[in-house]
Amino acid sequence: MNPNPAYVILPCNGLDKAAGGVTREMALELAEQTGSEILCPVLYRVADARYNRLAGERPLLVLDGCATRCASKLAGEKGLKVAKKLNISEEAKQRGVELGESLRLDETGRALAKTLVAALLEADRVESASSTAATAFPEHFEYETYQKDKFLFRVPKSGFFFSENDFWVFVNGNRARVGMTDYLQQSLSDVLFFTPPPVGTAVEQFGEVGTIESAKAVMEVVSPVAGKVVAVNQALDTSPELINQTPYEQGWLVELELADFDQDRELLLDFAGYFPILKRKVDEFHAK
Amino acid sequence: MSETTFMGVPRSRIDWSPRIDYARCNDCMECVKFCPHQVYEVREAATPKLIIKNPLNCVVFCRACAKTCGVDALSFPDKIQTTQRIKEIRKELEGQ
Repeated sequence: MNPNPAYVILPCNGLDKAAGGVTREMALELAEQTGSEILCPVLYRVADARYNRLAGERPLLVLDGCATRCASKLAGEKGLKVAKKLNISEEAKQRGVELGESLRLDETGRALAKTLVAALLEADRVESASSTAATAFPEHFEYETYQKDKFLFRVPKSGFFFSENDFWVFVNGNRARVGMTDYLQQSLSDVLFFTPPPVGTAVEQFGEVGTIESAKAVMEVVSPVAGKVVAVNQALDTSPELINQTPYEQGWLVELELADFDQDRELLLDFAGYFPILKRKVDEFHAK
Repeated sequence: MSETTFMGVPRSRIDWSPRIDYARCNDCMECVKFCPHQVYEVREAATPKLIIKNPLNCVVFCRACAKTCGVDALSFPDKIQTTQRIKEIRKELEGQ
């Protein structure tokens, strides 16, 4: 039996850059290896009934060639729930692979496609074999609110620290949860996808721990603390809207084992420090 | 009006803004469309067409515009060094 899930794959299949060809090659390879179905982005634009049905039947894998994210945007337009996504240019950069100028798929592109398919299938196997248990954290907090016109912004009154980039951290022993503030989630609008960092990733204070994608933008999660990622919020795989609905509770993003919180604390704000900054940001934004 | 600060440090003392690699930039202007802080300016008749007009408007540690760049032409200073520098300046200011 094939241990890997069969996906529905939406590649960008772009002809604008070499990376577009890699998405096509990956889709073909995955279809052969796992029985996944491929959605043609060009056909999808003009005839979507069959593809909409297919996309609802299996987990959707989106393959973007570059940061223009044509395939992600198409998935967003069609209201599809994305199970997994890959950006080929970023993956190439991380692996030190230089994709040439030629739009024809060359040996480098083919090798990269093979490597990425193998890595994806391996990650699936590891994921299905283990689940990272998150530590118990409180589920209810008391809030102060700031209202401007019809917008209401909540800030928990105690227990949390904030960065000026509007991310929060809640410390519990040597572990901490990280998430985005109510203000930031409202600025971003509806969250469509959270790409978590791999468990085990070491991060410096203000380093990147994943990315959040909304209808408006892709934004990196700026970690308010340094540490090692020990858990990611798996509920966000299927329900990224939790980030909008309960940003301080069920919408948490990652859990870290802290490296040196006392040192990180120096550049963080408690409620008393953050609340005035939030009010100023809201007022400035509404004055525009 | 009081000067803008970031983590208690005058924003003007923090070197954080995008750098444009003009060899890669193809003037698609996705970054300009994205950035809500008027960091960029588009000069229709000039070369280069895209410049960093207001680097101090750039939100420290934000690199979101780079994630819109299909040709990977935008880069930012190193975050760890920037954090160190902010800490040093805070110490300096405390001593005054």
